[in-house]
Amino acid sequence: MTDERTQPLLKFTGQKYLTHRLVLSTLTGRPIRISQIRSSSPTNPGLAPHEVSFLRLLESITNGSTIEFSYTGTTLVYRPGLITGSADGLGASGGVLRHELPAGCTRGISYFLIPLCLLAPFSKAQVNVIFHGPGVITSATPTGDVSVDTVRTAILPLFAQFSIERNIELRILKRSCAGPGGKGGGGEVQMVFGHQVRLPKTLHLMNPGRVKRIRGVAYAIGVAGANNARMIDTARGVLNKFVPDTYIFSDVSSAPFISTNDRSNPGAKKKIGIGFGLSLVAESSTGCLYSADVVCPPSGGVPPEEIGKQAAYQLLEIISKGGCVSSIAAPTMLTLMAMGSEDVGRLQMGRDVIGSEEMIELGRDLNAFGGSGWGLRDAGDESGDIVVSVVGRGVGNVGRKIA
Amino acid sequence: LHGHGKPYRTSDLARMMYNLSLSPAEVIKKWRHETEDDEEAKEDGEEDDFFKISKAEGPSTAEDRYISHFDYVTLEKKWEDEDNLELIRKRFISGHISEKS
Repeated sequence: MTDERTQPLLKFTGQKYLTHRLVLSTLTGRPIRISQIRSSSPTNPGLAPHEVSFLRLLESITNGSTIEFSYTGTTLVYRPGLITGSADGLGASGGVLRHELPAGCTRGISYFLIPLCLLAPFSKAQVNVIFHGPGVITSATPTGDVSVDTVRTAILPLFAQFSIERNIELRILKRSCAGPGGKGGGGEVQMVFGHQVRLPKTLHLMNPGRVKRIRGVAYAIGVAGANNARMIDTARGVLNKFVPDTYIFSDVSSAPFISTNDRSNPGAKKKIGIGFGLSLVAESSTGCLYSADVVCPPSGGVPPEEIGKQAAYQLLEIISKGGCVSSIAAPTMLTLMAMGSEDVGRLQMGRDVIGSEEMIELGRDLNAFGGSGWGLRDAGDESGDIVVSVVGRGVGNVGRKIA
Repeated sequence: LHGHGKPYRTSDLARMMYNLSLSPAEVIKKWRHETEDDEEAKEDGEEDDFFKISKAEGPSTAEDRYISHFDYVTLEKKWEDEDNLELIRKRFISGHISEKS
């Protein structure tokens, strides 16, 4: 309660940027109040299943957090605790925390993984979470989430730039696309993040370099593997003339089974999460990563050639925006920079990457949580990029104050 | 309203970034010098001024996305055009390696 007087609640509105605000709140220890969450929706007001599930995840990897909902779920008060990770005795058993996602979840697993990865370096113990249950979608989703392959190959390597690189692993135990109507999946993913730091290193990333290789994963779940070959073929057709070093892996797996929840036949199971998709990652000579993700819609009806072509064009579009980070990676990078030591870090970004609503809101949120404002200046080369200077807050890892 | 200067100026963005009287969408629109009318006509034409404010403040229909919406028809046209391909070629190690060290 003493907290209440020294630290007034930071107030936000709307369901957008919810996970990121919760992450910032946890990292900085500032309690927050988010109101008007889908308050004007007549059918689904308040928090959605994936958001409630994310709050539960936060609760289980922290110690001492309190979460209060209003009756309708449109207002939320969150008081963060210490990030303890998967320490024994606090919900985890054997150092592994099992987190079940409900069947109504419409978001991909990256919705949970990316914020979790932001918290993990500042945890007291290592973070080891298995996501399971009828709501785990490992593929990209029509709701705009990237696939688990993109998280593994385009988001996790970013942490190495901050000297956070040991014992980080993302295991895909069971793949799944989005189920009927985009709801549910049935996949299984294990996230191990074993490198905790006091403070992330100050980053100076000013040279985007040139794209030297493209890697990718094509996945077909419960459908013929020929779909993979067709996606890979068309994607390579577009990309090969730019980068001869293009290699796309093919992953064929059977569809996951989940319980039908039929009372008369409790053992009955049904297949869910059938589909195919493609994740592409381009790596530049200086280690910058650009990613693209396209998946077939849950209703089907799109040929694999179309998916392959769309992914390739999306990748070209993202590369053409320039800078050292894509808009998918930018929130992770900028947040880690803001959490770093009290020194100026610099990051070169494309004009359209920094000049987006998400980035402006991110800058404002970081500012609201006590970070300093970003400095923007022209990169001064022919690329037309903008260099963002971020001063770290020097908060770092409270659990690791005594090294 | 914003007759001076050219769009996409870095100093303009830096100035508007922490100006909380503008919503992020408005900042982007001003920064790009996009005209207000097209945007609004595209979204929903029948709203009057009274509702516009509340919409800007509480976007209750907007959801978070990592992958933004792409119009693949335009993208395909763009990336089949040789001029555009030439522009992006310098972002790849295979193109014009001789002109830069």
